[in-house]
Amino acid sequence: MVKLLPAIIRDALKTLVRALVGRPATIRYPEVEVKVPEGFRGRHWLDINKCVGCGLCARDCPTGAITMMTLTLASPDKGKKPRKVPVFDLSRCIFCYQCAESCPRGAIKPTKVFSMAAYDPHDLVLDFRPLLLSKREEREGQLSGQQDPHG
Amino acid sequence: MVTSLELLERELGDSLLAREVRGPRRADVSVVTGRHMAAIKALKAAFPSLRLSAITGMDLGERLAVLYHLRLGGSILTLRMEVPKEEPVVESITRIIPGADLHEREVYDMLGIIFKDHPDLRRLLLPDDAPEGFHPLRKEVEARTLRPTETKPVLQPVITAESGPYLTLIIGPQHPALHEPERFVFKVDGEVVVGVDIRIGYAHRGIEEAAEHRTYIQDLYLCERVCGICNVAHSLCYCLTVEELLGLEVPPRAQYLRVVAAELNRLHSHMLLLGVAAEEMGFSTLFMYIWRDREAVMDLMEMLTGNRVVSSFNRIGGVSRDITPELAEKMKDRLRELRGRLEHYLEVFESDPTILVRTEGIGLLAQQDAVALCATGPTLRASGVGFDVRADDPYAAYSELASFEPVVMKEGDDWARYMVRLKECLVSVDVIEEALEKLPGGPVKARAPRRVKPNEAVCTIEAPRGELLYYMRSDGSDKPARLKIRTPTFTNLAPLRKMLEGVYVADIPVTLASIDPCFSCTDRAVFVDVNTGRSWSCYLDELGKQARRGARAW
Repeated sequence: MVKLLPAIIRDALKTLVRALVGRPATIRYPEVEVKVPEGFRGRHWLDINKCVGCGLCARDCPTGAITMMTLTLASPDKGKKPRKVPVFDLSRCIFCYQCAESCPRGAIKPTKVFSMAAYDPHDLVLDFRPLLLSKREEREGQLSGQQDPHG
Repeated sequence: MVTSLELLERELGDSLLAREVRGPRRADVSVVTGRHMAAIKALKAAFPSLRLSAITGMDLGERLAVLYHLRLGGSILTLRMEVPKEEPVVESITRIIPGADLHEREVYDMLGIIFKDHPDLRRLLLPDDAPEGFHPLRKEVEARTLRPTETKPVLQPVITAESGPYLTLIIGPQHPALHEPERFVFKVDGEVVVGVDIRIGYAHRGIEEAAEHRTYIQDLYLCERVCGICNVAHSLCYCLTVEELLGLEVPPRAQYLRVVAAELNRLHSHMLLLGVAAEEMGFSTLFMYIWRDREAVMDLMEMLTGNRVVSSFNRIGGVSRDITPELAEKMKDRLRELRGRLEHYLEVFESDPTILVRTEGIGLLAQQDAVALCATGPTLRASGVGFDVRADDPYAAYSELASFEPVVMKEGDDWARYMVRLKECLVSVDVIEEALEKLPGGPVKARAPRRVKPNEAVCTIEAPRGELLYYMRSDGSDKPARLKIRTPTFTNLAPLRKMLEGVYVADIPVTLASIDPCFSCTDRAVFVDVNTGRSWSCYLDELGKQARRGARAW
């Protein structure tokens, strides 16, 4: 008897039974956290201690989202070239992670953070310099877009 | 390959300027200007299955080059010819290969090479009101100096009703989900399509030109975005082309992982299309079921590459990341479930009356037409031609995988084109399982230099929609000198014109979707009665509804 029904109807009946006894498929995001798999390409994390400031990430970036900026905003030691680190403009970023591929020290890593919507494009500038600056320098520096990379 | 070169040597004599065998299935020949007709005629007579893969136009400064990439079984023969810039006239090959029509129009549009005796040499990608003599791929053209023209854009009905009471029916160009929005101008006799003209170029982003201004590394991500759905195909073809220019050996593990990513991409693309096709037929339930099961593929893609859609998995010299043994096991489990679902859909597509009544015997493309009009991919295989780049011109690890076999069907109608895709999904599952089983050890990426010595390369792969071709020329810098991309949909447009002749207006959506141009059901169609000038509009789902009601004259 069941075999006489078209295949799609049999499938639909099965789905109906499953839907009646099972849990709803909808996840109440954002109230409920959504899990993303390991290795998800979300927002960047820069290990500022590993970065040597070579600028390869900025050179290879296909969208020009990376700018090399001096690490200390206060005047650097005389005669010494200021150290530079990448600053990411996430409004331009396409999350291809060529920067991580180009980095000779493995200083750039993806995180699982994916909700990055912002009202102001300045909030999408991902700048890790404040993490290294002392509190005094931070006050002087007036850095914008400071964010905890782990959300 | 060798026989074709010998044939050309015999046929052309002194007109054959140079010949070079670049690889086991690649050869280049240069001929004297104007002798290409004799060469292609002789090749077509000797190899009836010959198809034109692409025509590349190139600006070499003083002269313009025309490259005909001819598909001879598994090999690609590139026929090269140069013309002076002052008088860029070349004889059209449309009389020998009718499918060359749109290819020649593209070269005319981009480089201003005039194809003598072409039946309909108009602009194809640029707007109709583009300035006279403006051909953007010429080196002397400066886009910045361009000013808007005074002339008002005119929407000319390309097919006018000179004779008889034909209606002109315009569909498009607003196709939100189609990666190449197209405008179709149909000439209809009551309910039957008599002729169709296709106008493309609405989504032309100048990628070929943009690629010349970016480095090889940056171009990879540009090319990946030619098409969102088959992004793995584009990035893979780009990487293969650059690797061939470099003579770079890719580690075996990376070759296998590339197969896994490419086949996951094919699964996701085919299932997307089958769902859309069901929707176009008015079978929304099937659309939702197929798309639900497609989510499993998207999840696997996300786990493997780090993103659901744009994978950024292929890199020059290998792939971006390795697969963990746990993920490989998980993938096998999920694919086993997916195979069950696909077998169920196979039963549905074979037996369901809704599908059969909407697709069987509609949009016929005969085998000889498919070859003459240079169809490719599932469109070609559904017309009985057993050509698949993965089998005939293998790349990555396909030559080592025993479970791969091309799917061929004889019917040549809409139904066969959907069935080929569905059966290919099952083959893809087999191929991924075998690739994961055989996965060799070792590194996943080789180091690639930034600069590329002067060289030329042609690479083709089997994208979900058919043969995808990249031609690249390097000049020793870190940027390519010329990049030519020929997408499968482009070459499938000429066969599509043939398929649409004789179908009912209500069958247009299903037939359009059967070549997989990512058709959306929200398209708006405008009907113009050329005799009275009255025009009205309706949505494409209205057309579908008409069909379900049993269409009669509007």
